[in-house]
Amino acid sequence: MAKTRRQSETAPPGQRLSQLAGAGETGTLYVDGDPGGTVHLMGGVVTYVGSPAAPGVGALLTASGRLPEHTWRASLEAGRDVHRVGRILVEQGHLMQGELELCVLGAVYDAAFFVLTPAAVPVRFVPGELHWLGRIVDVEAAALQRETDRRRRVLEEIRPGSAVDHAPITPVARPPVQRVVLTAAQWELVVHADGRRTAADLSELLGRPGYATLQELRRLSAAGLLRDTAPPADGKPDPQPSDRDGRSAEATPADPATLARRTPPSTSSMPADTERTGPAAAAAGGAEAAAAPASASSGPASDGARRSTDPASTGGKPRARTGAATQDQVPPPRRRQHAAPPAGAANDAGPNPGPPDDALLDRIRAALKALR
Amino acid sequence: MSVIDEHLARAMELPGAVGASLVDCTAGLALATAGSVPAGDAEAAATGAAEVLYAASARAPFASARPHDTIEDLIITTVSGYHLLQGVPVPFGNQLVLYLWLDRADGNLAMARRRLADIADDLVRTPPDPPAGSAT
Repeated sequence: MAKTRRQSETAPPGQRLSQLAGAGETGTLYVDGDPGGTVHLMGGVVTYVGSPAAPGVGALLTASGRLPEHTWRASLEAGRDVHRVGRILVEQGHLMQGELELCVLGAVYDAAFFVLTPAAVPVRFVPGELHWLGRIVDVEAAALQRETDRRRRVLEEIRPGSAVDHAPITPVARPPVQRVVLTAAQWELVVHADGRRTAADLSELLGRPGYATLQELRRLSAAGLLRDTAPPADGKPDPQPSDRDGRSAEATPADPATLARRTPPSTSSMPADTERTGPAAAAAGGAEAAAAPASASSGPASDGARRSTDPASTGGKPRARTGAATQDQVPPPRRRQHAAPPAGAANDAGPNPGPPDDALLDRIRAALKALR
Repeated sequence: MSVIDEHLARAMELPGAVGASLVDCTAGLALATAGSVPAGDAEAAATGAAEVLYAASARAPFASARPHDTIEDLIITTVSGYHLLQGVPVPFGNQLVLYLWLDRADGNLAMARRRLADIADDLVRTPPDPPAGSAT
Protein backbone atom coordinates (compact mmCIF):
# COMPACT_ATOMS: atom_id res chain seq x y z
CA MET A 1 0.00 0.00 0.00
CA ALA A 2 1.09 3.44 -0.59
CA LYS A 3 3.65 4.56 1.84
CA THR A 4 5.01 7.78 2.95
CA ARG A 5 6.15 9.80 0.05
CA ARG A 6 4.83 13.17 0.75
CA GLN A 7 3.36 14.55 3.90
CA SER A 8 2.39 11.33 5.51
CA GLU A 9 0.94 11.87 8.92
CA THR A 10 -0.55 9.64 11.53
CA ALA A 11 -4.20 10.34 12.05
CA PRO A 12 -7.56 8.64 12.31
CA PRO A 13 -8.51 8.16 8.67
CA GLY A 14 -12.09 9.15 9.31
CA GLN A 15 -11.02 12.44 10.80
CA ARG A 16 -8.65 13.19 7.95
CA LEU A 17 -11.36 12.30 5.47
CA SER A 18 -13.83 14.65 7.04
CA GLN A 19 -11.29 17.49 6.90
CA LEU A 20 -10.71 16.83 3.21
CA ALA A 21 -14.42 16.60 2.53
CA GLY A 22 -15.02 19.80 4.44
CA ALA A 23 -12.43 21.55 2.31
CA GLY A 24 -14.04 20.29 -0.88
CA GLU A 25 -10.89 18.50 -1.93
CA THR A 26 -10.33 16.36 -4.99
CA GLY A 27 -7.78 13.61 -4.85
CA THR A 28 -6.88 10.33 -3.22
CA LEU A 29 -6.39 9.62 0.46
CA TYR A 30 -4.06 6.73 1.07
CA VAL A 31 -4.61 4.93 4.34
CA ASP A 32 -1.91 2.66 5.62
CA GLY A 33 -2.26 -0.20 7.98
CA ASP A 34 -3.88 -3.55 7.91
CA PRO A 35 -5.71 -3.81 5.60
CA GLY A 36 -5.61 -0.13 4.68
CA GLY A 37 -6.90 1.23 1.42
CA THR A 38 -7.70 4.37 -0.51
CA VAL A 39 -10.49 6.93 -0.48
CA HIS A 40 -11.15 8.93 -3.62
CA LEU A 41 -12.72 12.34 -3.45
CA MET A 42 -14.13 14.74 -5.97
CA GLY A 43 -15.11 18.15 -4.80
CA GLY A 44 -15.38 16.92 -1.25
CA VAL A 45 -17.63 13.93 -1.90
CA VAL A 46 -16.43 10.37 -1.91
CA THR A 47 -16.63 8.66 -5.29
CA TYR A 48 -14.80 5.45 -4.56
CA VAL A 49 -13.13 3.56 -1.75
CA GLY A 50 -10.89 0.55 -2.16
CA SER A 51 -9.38 -1.87 0.29
CA PRO A 52 -7.63 -5.21 -0.09
CA ALA A 53 -10.11 -6.64 2.40
CA ALA A 54 -13.11 -5.74 0.25
CA PRO A 55 -13.58 -7.01 -3.30
CA GLY A 56 -13.66 -4.06 -5.64
CA VAL A 57 -16.11 -3.40 -8.43
CA GLY A 58 -14.22 -5.57 -10.89
CA ALA A 59 -13.99 -8.51 -8.53
CA LEU A 60 -17.69 -8.28 -7.67
CA LEU A 61 -18.77 -8.11 -11.29
CA THR A 62 -16.56 -10.89 -12.55
CA ALA A 63 -16.70 -13.28 -9.61
CA SER A 64 -20.48 -13.18 -9.75
CA GLY A 65 -20.39 -13.97 -13.43
CA ARG A 66 -22.09 -10.72 -14.29
CA LEU A 67 -19.22 -9.73 -16.57
CA PRO A 68 -16.80 -12.00 -18.35
CA GLU A 69 -13.30 -11.37 -17.24
CA HIS A 70 -12.12 -10.30 -20.66
CA THR A 71 -14.87 -7.71 -20.92
CA TRP A 72 -13.89 -6.24 -17.64
CA ARG A 73 -10.28 -6.18 -18.58
CA ALA A 74 -10.88 -4.56 -21.92
CA SER A 75 -12.94 -1.82 -20.33
CA LEU A 76 -10.34 -1.32 -17.69
CA GLU A 77 -7.63 -1.01 -20.29
CA ALA A 78 -9.64 1.38 -22.38
CA GLY A 79 -10.77 3.63 -19.58
CA ARG A 80 -8.13 3.51 -16.92
CA ASP A 81 -6.01 6.39 -18.03
CA VAL A 82 -8.94 8.65 -18.75
CA HIS A 83 -10.83 7.70 -15.58
CA ARG A 84 -13.81 6.48 -17.55
CA VAL A 85 -13.97 2.75 -16.87
CA GLY A 86 -17.47 3.01 -15.44
CA ARG A 87 -18.81 5.07 -18.30
CA ILE A 88 -17.32 2.72 -20.85
CA LEU A 89 -18.97 -0.31 -19.28
CA VAL A 90 -22.34 1.38 -19.60
CA GLU A 91 -21.81 2.98 -22.98
CA GLN A 92 -20.75 -0.29 -24.51
CA GLY A 93 -23.84 -1.96 -23.16
CA HIS A 94 -22.12 -4.31 -20.76
CA LEU A 95 -23.91 -2.97 -17.72
CA MET A 96 -26.98 -0.94 -16.93
CA GLN A 97 -26.23 2.34 -15.26
CA GLY A 98 -28.39 1.25 -12.32
CA GLU A 99 -26.42 -1.93 -11.85
CA LEU A 100 -23.19 -0.05 -11.94
CA GLU A 101 -24.38 2.44 -9.36
CA LEU A 102 -25.57 -0.34 -7.09
CA CYS A 103 -22.34 -2.21 -7.44
CA VAL A 104 -20.19 0.83 -6.79
CA LEU A 105 -22.25 1.97 -3.82
CA GLY A 106 -21.97 -1.44 -2.26
CA ALA A 107 -18.25 -1.57 -2.87
CA VAL A 108 -17.72 1.91 -1.47
CA TYR A 109 -19.47 1.24 1.82
CA ASP A 110 -17.84 -2.14 2.06
CA ALA A 111 -14.31 -0.87 1.61
CA ALA A 112 -14.94 2.15 3.81
CA PHE A 113 -15.68 -0.18 6.67
CA PHE A 114 -12.12 -1.46 6.51
CA VAL A 115 -10.42 1.78 5.61
CA LEU A 116 -12.09 4.06 8.13
CA THR A 117 -12.15 1.79 11.13
CA PRO A 118 -8.60 2.21 12.49
CA ALA A 119 -8.00 4.73 15.22
CA ALA A 120 -4.78 6.22 13.92
CA VAL A 121 -2.59 5.10 11.07
CA PRO A 122 -0.32 6.80 8.60
CA VAL A 123 -2.40 8.62 6.01
CA ARG A 124 -1.40 10.70 3.04
CA PHE A 125 -3.42 12.75 0.61
CA VAL A 126 -2.51 13.18 -3.02
CA PRO A 127 -4.46 16.11 -4.43
CA GLY A 128 -5.83 15.79 -7.91
CA GLU A 129 -5.29 12.07 -8.23
CA LEU A 130 -8.45 10.54 -9.69
CA HIS A 131 -9.73 7.01 -9.65
CA TRP A 132 -9.94 5.13 -12.93
CA LEU A 133 -13.56 4.22 -12.40
CA GLY A 134 -14.73 7.78 -12.74
CA ARG A 135 -17.51 9.44 -10.85
CA ILE A 136 -20.38 7.00 -10.68
CA VAL A 137 -21.76 7.73 -7.25
CA ASP A 138 -21.47 10.48 -4.68
CA VAL A 139 -21.32 9.49 -1.05
CA GLU A 140 -21.00 11.94 1.79
CA ALA A 141 -17.95 11.37 3.92
CA ALA A 142 -20.03 11.74 7.04
CA ALA A 143 -22.45 9.07 5.86
CA LEU A 144 -19.57 6.69 5.27
CA GLN A 145 -18.19 7.23 8.71
CA ARG A 146 -21.60 6.84 10.30
CA GLU A 147 -22.25 3.62 8.47
CA THR A 148 -18.81 2.31 9.31
CA ASP A 149 -19.43 2.91 12.98
CA ARG A 150 -22.82 1.28 12.79
CA ARG A 151 -21.40 -1.80 11.11
CA ARG A 152 -18.75 -2.06 13.75
CA ARG A 153 -21.45 -2.06 16.41
CA VAL A 154 -23.48 -4.67 14.57
CA LEU A 155 -20.53 -7.02 14.41
CA GLU A 156 -19.90 -6.64 18.10
CA GLU A 157 -23.53 -7.45 18.78
CA ILE A 158 -23.34 -10.63 16.77
CA ARG A 159 -20.26 -11.75 18.59
CA PRO A 160 -17.73 -9.61 20.39
CA GLY A 161 -14.08 -9.99 19.55
CA SER A 162 -12.56 -9.85 16.15
CA ALA A 163 -10.54 -13.05 16.01
CA VAL A 164 -12.48 -14.52 13.11
CA ASP A 165 -12.09 -11.27 11.22
CA HIS A 166 -8.38 -11.79 10.81
CA ALA A 167 -7.23 -15.30 11.51
CA PRO A 168 -7.50 -18.30 9.26
CA ILE A 169 -10.66 -20.18 10.07
CA THR A 170 -11.73 -23.77 10.19
CA PRO A 171 -15.12 -25.36 10.68
CA VAL A 172 -15.28 -27.35 13.88
CA ALA A 173 -15.05 -31.07 13.29
CA ARG A 174 -18.13 -31.71 15.36
CA PRO A 175 -20.86 -29.14 15.71
CA PRO A 176 -21.75 -28.33 19.30
CA VAL A 177 -25.40 -29.05 18.61
CA GLN A 178 -27.28 -31.86 16.99
CA ARG A 179 -29.00 -29.89 14.32
CA VAL A 180 -27.39 -27.19 12.26
CA VAL A 181 -29.18 -24.83 9.91
CA LEU A 182 -27.14 -22.64 7.61
CA THR A 183 -28.00 -20.03 5.05
CA ALA A 184 -26.62 -20.46 1.58
CA ALA A 185 -24.05 -17.76 2.21
CA GLN A 186 -22.92 -19.47 5.39
CA TRP A 187 -22.65 -22.78 3.64
CA GLU A 188 -20.37 -21.31 1.02
CA LEU A 189 -18.12 -19.97 3.71
CA VAL A 190 -17.98 -23.20 5.64
CA VAL A 191 -17.22 -25.17 2.53
CA HIS A 192 -14.35 -22.89 1.63
CA ALA A 193 -12.91 -22.32 5.09
CA ASP A 194 -9.97 -24.61 5.01
CA GLY A 195 -7.92 -23.53 7.97
CA ARG A 196 -5.71 -21.37 5.83
CA ARG A 197 -8.05 -18.83 4.34
CA THR A 198 -8.91 -15.71 6.25
CA ALA A 199 -12.06 -13.67 5.98
CA ALA A 200 -10.41 -11.50 3.36
CA ASP A 201 -9.35 -14.54 1.36
CA LEU A 202 -12.88 -15.90 1.43
CA SER A 203 -14.39 -12.61 0.32
CA GLU A 204 -12.02 -12.46 -2.56
CA LEU A 205 -12.51 -16.07 -3.54
CA LEU A 206 -16.29 -15.95 -3.40
CA GLY A 207 -16.65 -12.41 -4.67
CA ARG A 208 -18.63 -11.46 -1.60
CA PRO A 209 -18.43 -8.12 0.13
CA GLY A 210 -15.94 -8.16 2.97
CA TYR A 211 -18.34 -6.95 5.62
CA ALA A 212 -20.98 -9.50 4.65
CA THR A 213 -18.35 -12.18 5.08
CA LEU A 214 -17.41 -10.91 8.52
CA GLN A 215 -21.05 -10.90 9.56
CA GLU A 216 -21.56 -14.50 8.58
CA LEU A 217 -18.28 -15.65 10.06
CA ARG A 218 -19.14 -14.05 13.35
CA ARG A 219 -22.56 -15.67 13.31
CA LEU A 220 -21.02 -19.04 12.63
CA SER A 221 -18.46 -18.45 15.30
CA ALA A 222 -21.13 -17.41 17.79
CA ALA A 223 -22.91 -20.66 17.04
CA GLY A 224 -19.74 -22.59 17.76
CA LEU A 225 -19.41 -23.85 14.22
CA LEU A 226 -16.16 -22.17 13.29
CA ARG A 227 -12.82 -21.88 14.94
CA ASP A 228 -10.72 -18.89 14.31
CA THR A 229 -7.22 -20.29 14.40
CA ALA A 230 -5.26 -23.28 13.44
CA PRO A 231 -5.53 -26.12 15.94
CA PRO A 232 -3.29 -25.88 18.96
CA ALA A 233 0.28 -26.61 18.21
CA ASP A 234 1.17 -28.20 21.48
CA GLY A 235 1.02 -31.67 20.11
CA LYS A 236 -2.35 -32.51 21.51
CA PRO A 237 -3.65 -35.15 19.19
CA ASP A 238 -7.26 -34.03 19.14
CA PRO A 239 -8.50 -30.66 18.26
CA GLN A 240 -10.50 -29.70 21.24
CA PRO A 241 -13.94 -29.19 19.82
CA SER A 242 -14.71 -32.84 19.77
CA ASP A 243 -14.36 -33.48 23.44
CA ARG A 244 -15.61 -30.22 24.67
CA ASP A 245 -18.55 -29.86 22.47
CA GLY A 246 -19.70 -33.39 22.06
CA ARG A 247 -21.72 -33.24 25.17
CA SER A 248 -23.50 -30.03 24.50
CA ALA A 249 -26.02 -31.66 22.30
CA GLU A 250 -29.40 -30.17 21.69
CA ALA A 251 -29.95 -26.56 21.16
CA THR A 252 -31.57 -24.69 18.46
CA PRO A 253 -29.11 -23.50 15.97
CA ALA A 254 -31.68 -21.98 13.74
CA ASP A 255 -30.53 -18.58 14.64
CA PRO A 256 -26.83 -18.34 15.03
CA ALA A 257 -26.95 -14.67 15.68
CA THR A 258 -28.86 -14.90 18.88
CA LEU A 259 -27.22 -18.03 20.09
CA ALA A 260 -25.19 -16.39 22.72
CA ARG A 261 -23.65 -19.70 23.37
CA ARG A 262 -20.82 -20.02 25.76
CA THR A 263 -17.53 -19.07 24.37
CA PRO A 264 -16.95 -21.11 21.33
CA PRO A 265 -14.14 -23.55 21.16
CA SER A 266 -10.66 -22.37 21.00
CA THR A 267 -9.21 -19.08 20.59
CA SER A 268 -5.56 -18.83 20.49
CA SER A 269 -4.78 -20.38 23.78
CA MET A 270 -1.60 -21.87 22.60
CA PRO A 271 1.71 -21.23 24.15
CA ALA A 272 2.71 -18.08 22.53
CA ASP A 273 6.36 -17.95 23.19
CA THR A 274 7.37 -21.34 22.05
CA GLU A 275 5.80 -20.53 18.76
CA ARG A 276 7.35 -17.26 18.08
CA THR A 277 10.39 -18.36 16.31
CA GLY A 278 12.33 -20.86 14.50
CA PRO A 279 12.68 -24.55 14.90
CA ALA A 280 10.46 -24.77 17.92
CA ALA A 281 7.64 -23.42 15.90
CA ALA A 282 8.46 -25.71 13.09
CA ALA A 283 8.44 -28.72 15.34
CA ALA A 284 5.24 -27.77 17.04
CA GLY A 285 3.65 -26.97 13.76
CA GLY A 286 4.74 -30.30 12.46
CA ALA A 287 3.10 -32.15 15.26
CA GLU A 288 -0.01 -30.20 14.73
CA ALA A 289 -0.05 -30.62 11.04
CA ALA A 290 0.20 -34.31 11.46
CA ALA A 291 -2.55 -34.42 13.99
CA ALA A 292 -5.13 -32.11 12.69
CA PRO A 293 -8.17 -34.04 11.68
CA ALA A 294 -10.23 -30.96 12.19
CA SER A 295 -9.60 -29.36 8.89
CA ALA A 296 -11.44 -31.49 6.46
CA SER A 297 -8.42 -32.71 4.65
CA SER A 298 -5.27 -32.09 6.44
CA GLY A 299 -1.81 -33.39 6.37
CA PRO A 300 0.96 -32.21 4.20
CA ALA A 301 0.13 -34.34 1.23
CA SER A 302 -3.42 -33.29 0.72
CA ASP A 303 -2.52 -29.78 1.63
CA GLY A 304 0.00 -29.75 -1.08
CA ALA A 305 -2.51 -31.05 -3.52
CA ARG A 306 -5.00 -28.44 -2.56
CA ARG A 307 -2.49 -25.73 -2.86
CA SER A 308 -1.58 -26.75 -6.32
CA THR A 309 -5.15 -26.63 -7.45
CA ASP A 310 -5.78 -23.31 -5.91
CA PRO A 311 -4.69 -21.09 -8.72
CA ALA A 312 -6.83 -23.03 -11.10
CA SER A 313 -9.92 -22.75 -9.03
CA THR A 314 -9.46 -19.09 -8.43
CA GLY A 315 -8.78 -18.67 -12.07
CA GLY A 316 -12.22 -20.04 -12.68
CA LYS A 317 -13.57 -17.27 -10.59
CA PRO A 318 -12.06 -14.37 -12.35
CA ARG A 319 -10.22 -12.34 -9.88
CA ALA A 320 -9.84 -9.42 -12.13
CA ARG A 321 -9.42 -7.31 -9.15
CA THR A 322 -10.17 -3.82 -10.08
CA GLY A 323 -7.04 -3.24 -11.89
CA ALA A 324 -3.58 -2.33 -11.09
CA ALA A 325 -4.13 1.32 -10.80
CA THR A 326 -4.11 2.42 -7.25
CA GLN A 327 -5.32 0.34 -4.44
CA ASP A 328 -6.46 -2.82 -6.07
CA GLN A 329 -3.26 -4.48 -6.85
CA VAL A 330 -3.35 -7.93 -8.32
CA PRO A 331 -1.10 -10.09 -6.29
CA PRO A 332 -0.30 -13.23 -8.08
CA PRO A 333 -1.60 -16.46 -6.77
CA ARG A 334 -3.24 -15.76 -3.51
CA ARG A 335 -2.97 -13.39 -0.75
CA ARG A 336 -3.92 -13.07 2.74
CA GLN A 337 -4.24 -9.52 3.66
CA HIS A 338 -5.03 -9.70 7.28
CA ALA A 339 -3.59 -12.99 7.86
CA ALA A 340 -0.09 -13.51 7.01
CA PRO A 341 3.12 -11.73 7.02
CA PRO A 342 4.71 -11.38 3.63
CA ALA A 343 5.67 -14.63 2.10
CA GLY A 344 9.28 -14.17 2.97
CA ALA A 345 8.52 -14.15 6.63
CA ALA A 346 7.31 -17.68 6.62
CA ASN A 347 10.50 -18.88 5.15
CA ASP A 348 12.51 -17.00 7.66
CA ALA A 349 10.53 -18.58 10.39
CA GLY A 350 11.85 -22.00 9.57
CA PRO A 351 15.56 -21.95 9.34
CA ASN A 352 15.59 -25.69 9.65
CA PRO A 353 17.35 -27.18 6.70
CA GLY A 354 14.81 -29.84 5.81
CA PRO A 355 12.90 -29.67 2.58
CA PRO A 356 10.43 -26.82 2.73
CA ASP A 357 7.00 -28.14 3.40
CA ASP A 358 4.42 -25.71 2.14
CA ALA A 359 1.58 -26.96 4.22
CA LEU A 360 3.67 -26.81 7.32
CA LEU A 361 4.87 -23.33 6.59
CA ASP A 362 1.34 -22.23 6.02
CA ARG A 363 0.27 -23.56 9.34
CA ILE A 364 3.11 -21.93 11.14
CA ARG A 365 2.31 -18.73 9.45
CA ALA A 366 -1.27 -19.02 10.49
CA ALA A 367 -0.38 -19.86 14.06
CA LEU A 368 2.00 -16.96 14.34
CA LYS A 369 -0.53 -14.62 12.95
CA ALA A 370 -3.14 -15.83 15.35
CA LEU A 371 -0.94 -14.93 18.25
CA ARG A 372 -0.73 -11.30 17.35
CA MET B 1 -29.71 12.64 -10.08
CA SER B 2 -28.56 9.07 -10.06
CA VAL B 3 -30.44 6.33 -11.83
CA ILE B 4 -31.25 4.83 -8.46
CA ASP B 5 -32.91 8.07 -7.42
CA GLU B 6 -34.83 8.23 -10.67
CA HIS B 7 -36.28 4.82 -10.02
CA LEU B 8 -37.24 5.74 -6.50
CA ALA B 9 -38.94 8.81 -7.92
CA ARG B 10 -40.92 6.55 -10.23
CA ALA B 11 -42.04 4.48 -7.28
CA MET B 12 -43.10 7.65 -5.53
CA GLU B 13 -45.43 8.46 -8.42
CA LEU B 14 -47.62 5.51 -7.53
CA PRO B 15 -50.92 6.50 -5.95
CA GLY B 16 -50.66 6.55 -2.20
CA ALA B 17 -46.88 6.32 -2.09
CA VAL B 18 -45.51 7.78 1.11
CA GLY B 19 -41.89 6.78 0.91
CA ALA B 20 -39.51 4.60 -1.03
CA SER B 21 -35.98 3.46 -0.50
CA LEU B 22 -33.40 1.08 -1.79
CA VAL B 23 -32.11 -1.07 1.02
CA ASP B 24 -29.00 -3.19 1.21
CA CYS B 25 -30.44 -6.02 3.27
CA THR B 26 -27.18 -7.77 3.96
CA ALA B 27 -25.74 -4.74 5.65
CA GLY B 28 -29.00 -3.14 6.77
CA LEU B 29 -28.35 0.16 5.04
CA ALA B 30 -30.57 2.43 2.97
CA LEU B 31 -28.55 3.26 -0.12
CA ALA B 32 -31.04 5.84 -1.32
CA THR B 33 -34.31 7.25 -0.02
CA ALA B 34 -37.22 9.27 -1.34
CA GLY B 35 -40.21 10.66 0.49
CA SER B 36 -40.77 9.76 4.12
CA VAL B 37 -39.54 6.87 6.18
CA PRO B 38 -41.57 5.30 8.95
CA ALA B 39 -41.10 7.14 12.22
CA GLY B 40 -38.63 9.41 10.46
CA ASP B 41 -35.88 6.95 11.23
CA ALA B 42 -34.19 5.83 8.02
CA GLU B 43 -31.70 3.65 9.83
CA ALA B 44 -34.34 1.76 11.77
CA ALA B 45 -36.42 1.34 8.64
CA ALA B 46 -33.48 -0.13 6.77
CA THR B 47 -32.39 -2.51 9.49
CA GLY B 48 -36.02 -3.46 10.00
CA ALA B 49 -36.44 -4.28 6.33
CA ALA B 50 -33.26 -6.30 6.45
CA GLU B 51 -34.45 -8.25 9.46
CA VAL B 52 -37.82 -8.97 7.95
CA LEU B 53 -36.23 -10.28 4.80
CA TYR B 54 -33.74 -12.31 6.78
CA ALA B 55 -36.51 -13.80 8.88
CA ALA B 56 -38.48 -14.78 5.82
CA SER B 57 -35.60 -16.12 3.80
CA ALA B 58 -33.20 -17.57 6.34
CA ARG B 59 -35.13 -18.36 9.50
CA ALA B 60 -38.37 -19.53 8.03
CA PRO B 61 -38.38 -22.33 5.50
CA PHE B 62 -40.80 -20.57 3.17
CA ALA B 63 -38.30 -19.92 0.45
CA SER B 64 -36.50 -23.20 0.90
CA ALA B 65 -39.43 -25.46 0.32
CA ARG B 66 -38.37 -26.20 -3.22
CA PRO B 67 -35.00 -26.09 -4.87
CA HIS B 68 -34.17 -22.79 -6.54
CA ASP B 69 -37.15 -21.10 -5.02
CA THR B 70 -36.51 -17.61 -3.78
CA ILE B 71 -38.36 -14.67 -2.29
CA GLU B 72 -39.64 -12.12 -4.76
CA ASP B 73 -41.43 -9.75 -2.50
CA LEU B 74 -42.86 -9.36 0.97
CA ILE B 75 -45.91 -7.40 1.96
CA ILE B 76 -46.70 -6.17 5.41
CA THR B 77 -50.17 -4.80 5.83
CA THR B 78 -50.91 -2.50 8.71
CA VAL B 79 -54.16 -0.78 9.57
CA SER B 80 -53.00 2.39 7.87
CA GLY B 81 -50.67 1.23 5.17
CA TYR B 82 -48.87 -1.30 3.08
CA HIS B 83 -45.16 -1.92 3.23
CA LEU B 84 -43.75 -3.65 0.18
CA LEU B 85 -40.32 -5.17 -0.05
CA GLN B 86 -39.41 -6.05 -3.60
CA GLY B 87 -36.22 -7.92 -4.26
CA VAL B 88 -33.80 -6.37 -6.75
CA PRO B 89 -32.11 -9.13 -8.70
CA VAL B 90 -28.41 -8.37 -8.80
CA PRO B 91 -25.97 -11.23 -8.98
CA PHE B 92 -23.15 -9.40 -7.25
CA GLY B 93 -22.69 -8.03 -3.80
CA ASN B 94 -25.32 -7.78 -1.16
CA GLN B 95 -29.00 -8.58 -1.21
CA LEU B 96 -31.02 -5.56 -2.24
CA VAL B 97 -34.68 -4.67 -1.94
CA LEU B 98 -36.80 -1.82 -3.10
CA TYR B 99 -38.98 -0.74 -0.22
CA LEU B 100 -42.24 1.11 -0.78
CA TRP B 101 -44.54 2.52 1.86
CA LEU B 102 -48.08 2.99 0.63
CA ASP B 103 -50.95 4.71 2.29
CA ARG B 104 -53.71 2.21 2.69
CA ALA B 105 -56.58 4.48 1.78
CA ASP B 106 -55.01 5.84 -1.39
CA GLY B 107 -52.81 2.99 -2.43
CA ASN B 108 -53.65 0.14 -4.74
CA LEU B 109 -51.74 -2.83 -3.53
CA ALA B 110 -52.09 -5.03 -6.58
CA MET B 111 -51.00 -2.34 -8.94
CA ALA B 112 -48.21 -1.09 -6.74
CA ARG B 113 -46.84 -4.56 -6.39
CA ARG B 114 -46.69 -5.08 -10.13
CA ARG B 115 -45.22 -1.68 -10.80
CA LEU B 116 -42.64 -2.03 -8.11
CA ALA B 117 -41.50 -5.30 -9.62
CA ASP B 118 -41.15 -3.56 -12.97
CA ILE B 119 -39.18 -0.74 -11.46
CA ALA B 120 -36.81 -3.11 -9.74
CA ASP B 121 -36.32 -4.91 -13.02
CA ASP B 122 -35.74 -1.74 -14.97
CA LEU B 123 -33.12 -0.66 -12.52
CA VAL B 124 -30.85 -3.55 -13.33
CA ARG B 125 -32.02 -5.10 -16.56
CA THR B 126 -31.73 -4.05 -20.13
CA PRO B 127 -34.92 -2.24 -21.05
CA PRO B 128 -37.23 -3.88 -23.61
CA ASP B 129 -36.32 -1.35 -26.28
CA PRO B 130 -32.76 -2.39 -26.94
CA PRO B 131 -31.92 -0.82 -30.28
CA ALA B 132 -32.73 2.65 -29.06
CA GLY B 133 -30.05 2.45 -26.43
CA SER B 134 -26.36 2.71 -26.27
CA ALA B 135 -24.52 1.53 -29.29
CA THR B 136 -21.52 3.70 -28.94
